[in-house]
Amino acid sequence: MRRRRATAESSLLSRRAAALVCGLAFVLSACGGANAGPGTTASAPVSGGELTVAVDSEPVSFDVHVSPQDITGEILRHVVDSLVSVDADGRFTPWLASSWDVAPDLKSYTFHLRDGVKFTDGTPFDAAAVKANFDRIANPATKSQLAASLLGPYAGTEVVDPRTAKVSFTAPFAPFLQGASTPYLGFYSPKTLADNADKLGGGGAVEVGTGPFTFTEYTKGQNLVLTRNADYNWAPTGAAHTGAAYLDKLTVRFLSEDSVRVGALTSGQVQVARAISPVDVKNLEADQSVGLLKNDVPGGNYNIYLNASKAPFDDPLVRKAIQRGIDLDQAVKTVYFGQYKRAWSPLSPSTTGYDATLENSWPHDAAEAAKLLDQAGWTGKDADGYRTKNGARLVVKWPVMPPPYLREQRDVLGQAIQADLKKLGVEVVRDQPDIGTYIKQVYGGQTDFTDYSWNRFEPDVLWLFFNSASQPGKGGQNATFTQDAELDQLTESARGSADPAARAGAYAKVQRRATVDLALGTRSTRR
Amino acid sequence: MIRPLLRGAAHRVLAALAVLLGAAGLAFAALQLIPGDPVAIILGPATQASAQVQAAIRAEYGLDRPVLGQFLHYLGRLATGDLGRSYQLQRQVVDLIGDQLGPTAELALAALVLAVAISVGSAIATAGRRRGLKAVASGWELLAVSSPPFWVGILLLTVFSFTLRWFPVSGAEDFSALVLPALTLALPVAGVLSQVLREGLEAALAEPFAVTARARGLSRTAVRARHALRHAAVPLVTLTGWLTGSLLGGAVLVETVFGRPGIGALTLQAVTNKDMPLVIGLVLLSALVFVVISTLVDLLYLVVDPRLRTR
Repeated sequence: MRRRRATAESSLLSRRAAALVCGLAFVLSACGGANAGPGTTASAPVSGGELTVAVDSEPVSFDVHVSPQDITGEILRHVVDSLVSVDADGRFTPWLASSWDVAPDLKSYTFHLRDGVKFTDGTPFDAAAVKANFDRIANPATKSQLAASLLGPYAGTEVVDPRTAKVSFTAPFAPFLQGASTPYLGFYSPKTLADNADKLGGGGAVEVGTGPFTFTEYTKGQNLVLTRNADYNWAPTGAAHTGAAYLDKLTVRFLSEDSVRVGALTSGQVQVARAISPVDVKNLEADQSVGLLKNDVPGGNYNIYLNASKAPFDDPLVRKAIQRGIDLDQAVKTVYFGQYKRAWSPLSPSTTGYDATLENSWPHDAAEAAKLLDQAGWTGKDADGYRTKNGARLVVKWPVMPPPYLREQRDVLGQAIQADLKKLGVEVVRDQPDIGTYIKQVYGGQTDFTDYSWNRFEPDVLWLFFNSASQPGKGGQNATFTQDAELDQLTESARGSADPAARAGAYAKVQRRATVDLALGTRSTRR
Repeated sequence: MIRPLLRGAAHRVLAALAVLLGAAGLAFAALQLIPGDPVAIILGPATQASAQVQAAIRAEYGLDRPVLGQFLHYLGRLATGDLGRSYQLQRQVVDLIGDQLGPTAELALAALVLAVAISVGSAIATAGRRRGLKAVASGWELLAVSSPPFWVGILLLTVFSFTLRWFPVSGAEDFSALVLPALTLALPVAGVLSQVLREGLEAALAEPFAVTARARGLSRTAVRARHALRHAAVPLVTLTGWLTGSLLGGAVLVETVFGRPGIGALTLQAVTNKDMPLVIGLVLLSALVFVVISTLVDLLYLVVDPRLRTR
């Protein structure tokens, strides 16, 4: 009932604005409204009105082509449109491209563009605009931190005619359509790119796209205002609502404190709040005027990667022992009040290609873990009760990320893991250096554990996590610091395959191989 | 008459310039001491920026040059009035500070007025009076000084915004949104000021002139407000000047809790990200604020204490 009210409220918005509630709500969000009595749930959406959304973080840069931040994409999703969209089942549907042909070798994609689409500055959307945007992203001078990687081995865009654009790659590139559906490969007006390219990071009216809203105001540290684009008439195929958005005005408020965001919501000062802390969920569920939306974030779970390039994790037995020696069920349940699910794979269950057969395949087993460590030769005991081998203690170096990068009580979950490993005789050393030292140590391969989550609706994230070309410090994230021929081959072949079944098979193998002893999926991210 | 005044003013301006230069140099040196590669810090840990992009950023900001060269280059530009562009926010430092200064000035000023009003009221009401009253006053002062502003802010919000709904949670739109943040920032300052002021008042009231004034038929309150307060005000002015500076620091927490724009939040972001032009711009700003305030405080002494005017 309550859940339904939340969805009903979001249907007051247009489908694109619903993507705000769903967009700003691919995380745990809550919608409230003092007036939302039970009788109002079924009423038809009306045009007009305003909505205020409280979010937990503020974009550093508003340039979607440059910024790697989730929040930038979520906000700009209302301002820029993409070539394709993804429906609830993960299928690609037409958006600014009404159809497309994929070359059999996956080295080029030809998009047939929709007619009559206009940027909010009046410039028509055409093949030249596609080329201008993609070329800008790929240009190193743009300093793209995410979008350029979504373009992969981009070779160029050819303007076949004003309504046809052909995007080519130097190597087969299957993940492209997913990338093209994200706001990061969304389109700015060529006019704003020519006049204001260096001002796009600062937000405001220079962000000109074809989206259902225009970016009208931005006060750093406080809020931003999006205003309806009355001409909008090109929602993705299959959208619940087409045409202009219902809302006149959408205000996004930056409230970084969890308790303040929730207080503003329950007192009716904002109607939607993003990123609800698990500790607040119970109270909000009891509040009749608030509905909760829970969605699992696709992509990489909050995982721990084991640095297999150096002792002690250069020994697969030790890696396996660590994996079985942590009681993740208990830790995740306790720290997050039962709001997050523990993970079994590095990939989140809501990502295409997730291998469900991994579930329950590596349960906590302290006896087995101890046996594995004995086998690996860590049989000595020192005065503090830690295991030793040839006089050296079994130590795992795992620095804690400094704020503001540390979130979701990951340090507390870390304490639970530390305690479990202590029982096993493994010392986990957790100091919290400054971010410069952190990056140097962790991305320089000097530590044993690396923990992060990675949000993307595409199993190609596994390439980022496990391919040996994905080197940390050089734009990569492979924190196993190892070259595994099987993982390299699988992630590369899946990237170059057009056959969904073959891709799923390859990605399932990647997950199984990684789960054996390279990565610990700890929990789903559901903020 | 005019000439010594001008000389005094020129002396002040030169001293101020020296302070600003010193502040910029210290800030630059401190940033160099923070470990880690500036480009890696700007990009953060979860980046997919290729080695090529990283090199482009390094070259653009001149981070590949020797440290001394970087500093001299920066000073050269500073001399022409160019504060540069924020590495991370990609906007002119002048514009960023200009946008964020207003809300912080408003907050700090409101907090200062509130703090002085609270402390003067509390001190006049309680100095030299019954022991019980004084204990209550010392009690709240101690509580105000020792409570973390972060917690006080959330407490005030919970009571007055979320429950009673008298004030909005955030924003710098109107006056009502300023009340709770200003109060949060003012309380600890008011606590310190009241303590100091009451001590001063009590000392002044023990002086013979207080008895004389009473003998002339003035009421107890009139003696406090007109005579004793003036004596007690000199340390109050000194402290207020110093505390105004600390208000800028306190603004960091208050702005975070209330989701207000401002210099505090900007400073935190700049320092965390080792954003050199922005950090130095902000350091210069706070140095300037301190110079201006200490000048004002010196002038205020002359107003408060006629004995200082003879020179």
